[in-house]
Amino acid sequence: MTTSKTNRRSPRAFLFLPVMLAFAVLIVVSLVARGNSASADDRLADVRSAPSPEVISLQQAWQQGRAASVLRKQDTNPPADPGADREAASPNLQTFADSILPVLKRSCLDCHGPDHSEGRLRVDQLDPNLLTGDSVAQWREVYSVLSNSEMPPEGEEDYALSNEDRGQIVDWLSDELNKASRVRQSERPRSSFRRLARYEYDYALRDLLGLQHSLVDQLPPESTSDDGFRNNAELLQMSAMQFQTYRKIARTALSRACVTGDRPPPVTYVLSMPEELARVAAPEGAKTFDVHDDDSRGQVRRAHLVDQDSGLAIAYRAASPQPTDQLPGPPPEVSTVALVLPANNELKLNLDRFLPDEGRLKVRIRAARSDNELAGDACLQLSFSAHTSNNANFSNIVSDRDVRVPAAAAPQFVEFDISLGDIQRNPFRKLETKFPRRDEFLHIRNITPTSGLNVLIDYVEITAPYYEQWPPASHTAIFFESPDQSNESVYGREVLQRFVRRAWRRPVTNSELDRLMLLLESYRGEFDTFEAAMLEVLATVLVHPDFLYLASHEAEPSAAAVMTDHELASRLSAFLWASIPDDELLSLADKGRLQDPDVLTQQVGRMLADPKSKRFARHFVEQWLGLEGLDNTTHIKDRTLRQSMHDEPVAFFENALRHNRSIMEFLHSDYAVVNERLARHYGIRDVYGVAFREVPVTAGQHRGGLLTAAAVLAMNSDGQHSNPLKRGVWMLERVLHDPPPPPPPDVPEVDLTDPRILQMTLKERIADHRDNAACRSCHSRIDPWGIALENYDAMGAYRTKIGKEPVDASAELFDRQTLDGMDGLKRYLLLERQDQFTRAMVHKLAAYALGRSLTFGDRVELENIAGELRRQGDGLRDLIHLVIQSPLFHTL
Amino acid sequence: MDRRRFLCGTGIALALPHFETFADTSGAAAKTPKRFLSVYHPDGVGLPVKDDPAWKDWSWFPRGGERDFELTKVLDVLEPLREQITIYSGLSHPAARRVHGHSNADQYLTGADTKGHGPYQNSISLDQVIAAHAGRFTRHASLVMSTNGGIGGPRGAQTQSFNRDGRPIPAMNKPKQIFDMLFETGSQQAAAELARSKSALDFLMDSSRSLDRRLSQHDRRTLQQYLDSVRDTEVKLTKAQQWIETPIPQVDTSNLSLDADPREAKLYFETMYELIYLAFASDSTRVATFQLGRENGEGPHDLLSLAVGLGGAHRLTHEVKKPGGWQNLGTYNRYQAQEFGRFVKKLQDTPEPNGNGTMLDNTFAMHGSASSSFHLSRNYPIISAGGRNLGFDNGRYLKFGSGNEDNQAGAGVTSDAGWRGEIEAEELPLAHLFVTVLQRMGVETDTFAGYAGTLDRV
Repeated sequence: MTTSKTNRRSPRAFLFLPVMLAFAVLIVVSLVARGNSASADDRLADVRSAPSPEVISLQQAWQQGRAASVLRKQDTNPPADPGADREAASPNLQTFADSILPVLKRSCLDCHGPDHSEGRLRVDQLDPNLLTGDSVAQWREVYSVLSNSEMPPEGEEDYALSNEDRGQIVDWLSDELNKASRVRQSERPRSSFRRLARYEYDYALRDLLGLQHSLVDQLPPESTSDDGFRNNAELLQMSAMQFQTYRKIARTALSRACVTGDRPPPVTYVLSMPEELARVAAPEGAKTFDVHDDDSRGQVRRAHLVDQDSGLAIAYRAASPQPTDQLPGPPPEVSTVALVLPANNELKLNLDRFLPDEGRLKVRIRAARSDNELAGDACLQLSFSAHTSNNANFSNIVSDRDVRVPAAAAPQFVEFDISLGDIQRNPFRKLETKFPRRDEFLHIRNITPTSGLNVLIDYVEITAPYYEQWPPASHTAIFFESPDQSNESVYGREVLQRFVRRAWRRPVTNSELDRLMLLLESYRGEFDTFEAAMLEVLATVLVHPDFLYLASHEAEPSAAAVMTDHELASRLSAFLWASIPDDELLSLADKGRLQDPDVLTQQVGRMLADPKSKRFARHFVEQWLGLEGLDNTTHIKDRTLRQSMHDEPVAFFENALRHNRSIMEFLHSDYAVVNERLARHYGIRDVYGVAFREVPVTAGQHRGGLLTAAAVLAMNSDGQHSNPLKRGVWMLERVLHDPPPPPPPDVPEVDLTDPRILQMTLKERIADHRDNAACRSCHSRIDPWGIALENYDAMGAYRTKIGKEPVDASAELFDRQTLDGMDGLKRYLLLERQDQFTRAMVHKLAAYALGRSLTFGDRVELENIAGELRRQGDGLRDLIHLVIQSPLFHTL
Repeated sequence: MDRRRFLCGTGIALALPHFETFADTSGAAAKTPKRFLSVYHPDGVGLPVKDDPAWKDWSWFPRGGERDFELTKVLDVLEPLREQITIYSGLSHPAARRVHGHSNADQYLTGADTKGHGPYQNSISLDQVIAAHAGRFTRHASLVMSTNGGIGGPRGAQTQSFNRDGRPIPAMNKPKQIFDMLFETGSQQAAAELARSKSALDFLMDSSRSLDRRLSQHDRRTLQQYLDSVRDTEVKLTKAQQWIETPIPQVDTSNLSLDADPREAKLYFETMYELIYLAFASDSTRVATFQLGRENGEGPHDLLSLAVGLGGAHRLTHEVKKPGGWQNLGTYNRYQAQEFGRFVKKLQDTPEPNGNGTMLDNTFAMHGSASSSFHLSRNYPIISAGGRNLGFDNGRYLKFGSGNEDNQAGAGVTSDAGWRGEIEAEELPLAHLFVTVLQRMGVETDTFAGYAGTLDRV
């Protein structure tokens, strides 16, 4: 019964089988192994036999590892010519029979043959024809373990491969794999037609309509692909519910972008501190004090108004400014009378019930720091609250980021822009009765971490609904001035032509315009105005697949499916801006010039220089590293710290991109990119303020690269404890792109009720678990990567002890390489795994750029990019250019 | 499309006809509607300590065992319905056990951790989970009512219903408005909107088909999913149109006083219950919630208790230590139970049109509050009625948890020491009862609000 069950492979199991079996091979063989043998690869052997690796600096390791790169010396494969290739390509079976099979038999067959089929791999049963055979997946694993010198295991003298033999197999396999990849390229399923991911749709809508605020709250989150990406074509689904949500969002967005009638009267509140001081200090018995007095020390530590000339002051924490329906006039001269907000103090403004339901709330605060000597930033934060009745209240932070206050003695306006329709409002504000309470409050808070650093405010101006101009630019972008404006059938066509071209990122055909005009005419009678009827039509344009999807056409059957200029423009903007193309890209596409390599390079440079490219850094890094994991942890209580942790890898990546740094700096760098909060967490001195910047680190600070980022270490932890297993899996998936297979079905749970297990340290527990036959094969591959990070606790802080025990962060890889702590791990990666990491980076970036899973058919081009990147010096910016110039990026 | 939104604004979610579905099932039992009602009352119930003379008559919870329980004066009005009801103790939502009772009406049907202050996030309520399942059979997915109407504020809910994003669904409170919504014809405007939507969808289908011709085989599947979504939306719109054209059921309006105001408490109560009854009987909806007032008083809720000769409802809870205080609160709770009982009796007296028992047998009606004693968010006082055909075995007093067998935890306290106090007794998550209810209503799930599994013995 059991036997038959094990033998019957489920389709799912079969899928993972190649990977699993290769792992199992490695492990089991390495356990059988005894003794020592010389390493197979000369170049690698040089490195290994260098004087004890401990004395090699990481810098040296990096140089040696780079010198040893095989990828760097690999020839570039010629560009694809599928028609010719398919004819010409034939498997080189002769070499296999003559030189490969005998070596495999000698070195591998004992463990992977009829007697022992470790990992269910039998080299005698692999089909040597990679072009048509079904053993490609197994061959790729063989290629991988041989070129990484993972097999045969260290210390297996009887089975050791000579460098010559190893090279011969690797060369033969490399050729055959490339040929097979070429042949299979045209067979791969095309999935370049994909829906915009939620965040892309949000940016696209906002860029198209000129809106400030996000609208996609109601859309479900996207699922993540196996390699971590949320823009994967296969996973971007559509449902009726979702389609209806798109319709709803389109209408809301258009109603925010466009206006009707006269400018609505504003509600304006103005607070001038000189006037306030005069008002509150005037009454008989007002409790004023002199800031210079010794006994007013307690009072100056709380919010107060002060005349800086005379020192006259009075406590001031709340105000109820009266609304007017006038736009604010020009601000008064800067006054020496100011509100002083010490750290963690706030001004609470009662705005009563007069703010409109929708529209932008503009808050302008003229402010300055109290002091330029104190290090650190002074920042303001806004909250909105209501206290409707006893215990029925809320208070939410509504500013999406903390805004820095300018330098002392140079007050400037600090501005906030809040969408009133999107925040929690007091639902009782329209009541005619006074209970529950109807008023709403705005809180202005100084959230500087530096004690003693005050914010001085002399003038506050609050307006809603706020428009830069009337009608707003978002409106005139759609309903622009035209001599034909009075002729609806002509003007309607103009409006549609301009809008649809931008929304669909391509020229609109006449017949499409005809259809849309018919729709407009059928609606027109039901609406009072042309604009209202047009918005109905535009809402439909925004749920059309040409807006919601990155479209692709079917090429002529014979040609390699090369994209059109417009498709290329869309792919570029999705990649680098997470949005739709701007006018410059569209115009170049209209002229058919975007495919020109010089134009393309110039455009990529322009796009990377645009602030919208920050979206690329954010979304790529979040998905590549799986930073959403940080949101699923509960043990980081400090909101600022958590946010700083989350932002660090993004800032690191941005910094590397800006300076075209080597991608190897992701593995290790002699600097960190931190802000004040994170620097404090890392014990790095003299970093102040909320902005991230590059600062040098010493070896003793144990930082540098992405592996030491607190986000990575903290999110791969369980609450209070580091989790070497999670960290190991993360290393394999995200950094080495060598994901472990899912646990087999017969894996026993770790029984935490067993007293024997409870007494063990975590490392012992892992070792115990690994000794279980069912678990061994995977865990000996996973665990060492995580154990090497044990010097970092669940918060990502460096430690040398766990409880009272010294940290044991040394682990042995399956090939007997010892990883000794973070330094040992980095040294090993830099010495031995640079090529693998390059391939991993190329893979991750390409998968993100193309928005689909990569297949065997993509292998040749990926190898070309990786090789070229190594030759060009590993620069991150170069990598972006290489991906975009690659035929991969230009074909469907 | 916007009819949906329009209706949402009036307290009801638009349901879509599902005529075909009736054909899929067979047998009277399968065809009989399964209905759900939850009535919520704020301010909890009276819970004097044992040695208080008022304990004997005016402590809300019954005495005795599962079958041989004895009702105090608070609930004795339900004695004639004894075999139709179940009374529960020892249940509450764990996340809110330390939160002031004033802030807890919001989470009674959701079990969300809505906290006592600061940022606020709720989750879907029990009735809306059922409505998502049963709503397709009826014109209206659910009926959401309260005496105060609207949504109230965060931690001051005036509705018991929250959608799947945790946003409150506005409750209706004017009998006339509810009646019109249920039994008057749909608006012309809604019909015009539907027609517009349909022509937009026609355009999308047409225009996307030409895109289809440009796509590769593989990408066509992706587009097909889009087209299916558009088509499904079209089908839904067609059905919505059908509902507009489907005749509204005719109902007997002789018992209705559609102008009733909470000032006339008894009349208002009876009218609101009557509307629920009519909505169920005409199969206009199968899911309803009704909140009596809001926590922390004032507004229509107080009018109800003032109208029956007592003080403001919220004040009753504060004044239990005054002479006659326990009796006053008990009397008010008794009055609530009486109106609930009247509704239950009416369901019991109405046979299902298809002969499958009475309407009560196919309806699970619950009545309760998110606090027991003074502002104490524990040991919710809950009564349920009916549901025999759904698998509920009534005529029982079911005690859950341990350490509070005589319901004395937090009893007699009239200060913040109560809700701030240590949790003395072990209680079970109310969500387990909700899972039981969901399963018996035909929803395939094993969890609610993050709690897996049903409640034993129910």
